[in-house]
This record gives sequence, C-alpha cells and structure tokens, in this order.
Amino acid sequence: MRDGDRVVDRVVEMLKEPVRIDPVLDRRVMAELAQVPAPRRTTGIVALTGWLVRKRTIAVSPLGGLAAAAGIALAVLAGRAWVFPTAHHEPALTTTAAVSPGADTRAIQFVVLAPRASSVTLVGDFNDWDETATPMSRAVGNGLWSVTVPLAPGRYRYSFLVDGNRWEPDPEAPRALGDDFGRPNSVVTVGGS
Amino acid sequence: MRRGLGLSLIIAAGLAGGSRAPAAAQEPRLAGRLPDPVRVQVDALLDSARAAGLPTEPLVDRALEGASKRADGVRIVTAVRRLAGELGAARDALGLESSPAEVTAGASALRAGARAGDLHRLRVLRARQSVTVAAAVLADLVAVGVPPDTAAAAVIALARSADDATYLAFRRNVERDVALGASPVAALGVRLTATGGATAEYPGPRKP
Repeated sequence: MRDGDRVVDRVVEMLKEPVRIDPVLDRRVMAELAQVPAPRRTTGIVALTGWLVRKRTIAVSPLGGLAAAAGIALAVLAGRAWVFPTAHHEPALTTTAAVSPGADTRAIQFVVLAPRASSVTLVGDFNDWDETATPMSRAVGNGLWSVTVPLAPGRYRYSFLVDGNRWEPDPEAPRALGDDFGRPNSVVTVGGS
Repeated sequence: MRRGLGLSLIIAAGLAGGSRAPAAAQEPRLAGRLPDPVRVQVDALLDSARAAGLPTEPLVDRALEGASKRADGVRIVTAVRRLAGELGAARDALGLESSPAEVTAGASALRAGARAGDLHRLRVLRARQSVTVAAAVLADLVAVGVPPDTAAAAVIALARSADDATYLAFRRNVERDVALGASPVAALGVRLTATGGATAEYPGPRKP
C-alpha cells in the first residue's frame, strides 16, 4: 500500500468518528428559535403582491435573451397589425365565427379589414348575389367591416364587393374551386350536427 | 320557401299552358337581372333540372352571380349548364333520396376533382348522416392543395365516426398547418391521425 493511500484511510477513519457537540448548544438553539415570531398567515393577494415585488436574479443566456427580444418584438408587431389598419386597400384580415341562434340556422359573422374602403357589401348564394342586400358595417376607429347572416346548414359561395366595383374573396376562408366568371369566390360551410 | 315558389310556378305554368306544350317556367328572381334571351335559356335549363329532380337553387344562384359580375350571356348559360351536369352526377352518386344541400356539396366535390365513386362510398358509410359537410370539406381540402384522391380518402376515413363539427375542425386544422408552411399531404396525414381517422380507409395518399 502506498503512503498516499494510508493518509486517505486515516482521514476517512477520522471523518467516521462521531462529532461531539456541546450539550448546551442544543438548548441555546431551541431557546433562540422560540423567540422568533411565527409567520403571519397572508391572504392570496398579499402573497401574490409579495411574489411580484420580490427581487430575483434571473440568469439568461445570450441566445435566450435574443429569443425573448424577438418574441417581444413579434408580439408588438402583431398587436399593431390588429389594432391599426393596414395600408392596403384590399381586404387583409377576415375572421368568420359561428354562434347558434336557432335549431336550423347558425348566425355566421363575416369580418373583413378594408381600412380605405368607403363601402363593403357581402354578396353570395345566401342573398341572391344582390349587391345591395347585405351591406357591412364599419367599426368606429378602424377598418374592420362586419355583418352577421343567419345561414342554414350547407355550403355557400360568397365574395366581398368593395366600393361597389371590386370583388374580393375572403382571404381567411377556403377558396371556391372552378370559378366560372373570372373572379374568385370563397366558401363557407355550415354544419348541422 | 324558394322551392315552394318553384313548385308553384311549375303548377301555375301547367295550368296556364292547358293542352299546349308548357312553356318554361320563369324564375322571378332572374327578372331584371338577366337580358331576356339569356333568361329564356336559363329558365329552360331550370325546367330541365326540375324535371330531373335536381335542386334548382344552385343554378339560380350561379346565374345571379354571373349577372352581378357582369358576365356575358354565353358565359352565364355555360356556367349554369355545367353546374347542372355536376348536380346530376352528384345526385346519381349520392342517390335519389339525397337532400338538395347534399347534392350541391357533392357537385362541389366533383368539381374539385373527386370521383363519383368517392361520393357513393361516402353515402354508403354515412347512410344515416348527412354528407353535406363531408363533401364540402373534401372540396375545401383540395382548395388548400391536397390532391383530390388523397382528400377523398381522408374524408372517407372519417365518414363513420366524424360529425359535422369534427369534419370542420379537421379542415380548419389542415388549413392552419398549410398556412404555417406544412405540406398539404403531410398536414392532412397528421391531422387525420389526431382525429382518429387513420384506419384501413386511409392507407396513405392514393396514387392517381
């Protein structure tokens, strides 16, 4: 056995010996603990406030920091795109949502973003392709136009007529295939089950 | 209500015609929207469709769409005639008992490239459920770039278990995936598996 090994063995034996603690120490520690006031019960709001204002050290890698910055920038840009009208005259954003006003029909909301349009009408299979039957209303302060139409279950082709002279399909809806008249339509399908 | 009106017009035309050969019933909504010569031709097509038991509402809509878009008469008549043929093929594939909405959606699927056999299979698998939404979703999937045969296989794979809401959610998810950059076929396969439709009915994209 080498000398180095013997030294290690001696250190191990020393470490295995029980630690002797002054018996007064236990009593002194317990007495000091008894003087510490019990923690107060906090309400959820107080606890939340405390959690929010408590200072922390956060470690972020350079790559993580860049990703977080990109995420914040993306969120800001997305917010701007939604809140502020785009510069395009064409419809740029549409959502279609359905609620159930009755057993046989669904109220389908058509929404289109056309900030510079002076009028937008919804024209399709459900209104005899009448250019004046279903005018859309413009929300105050932005370029969102919308209208809600009750539809029975089925498949309907439609388009938006902007300023009375320009046909625009719904960019957010499926496109109708095989256009017969050179101006593409969108389709909305209303389910019944 | 429109169908009731159409039936009334047929009866009225029959009564007015007496023993003479009945003239084509005039669809009132076409009045003032189409030039008279075009209107006469469209009315004749509507009469033929009615006699064949086909829904005429889609034909009227197509003519009115052409009128709104200032299409010329020849184009309007051609479009109505073409659609009447597709409605007939869809009705033959789906059966005489199919509803007008089913036949109309079936015609859309055929125009998208589905085969009559696909519609028939859909009808068989959904004997007690409407095929309107299923056929419409088939057409919509083709519109986002899914090959017609693959779209048909997927829609058929869901036919036994999916309700309308499931079909519509399935279509929305595929559209969303494609919009985010996925290939249409890959998106369809993933979403079909997630929807629980990947069975023997859908062994994968079909070869044409």
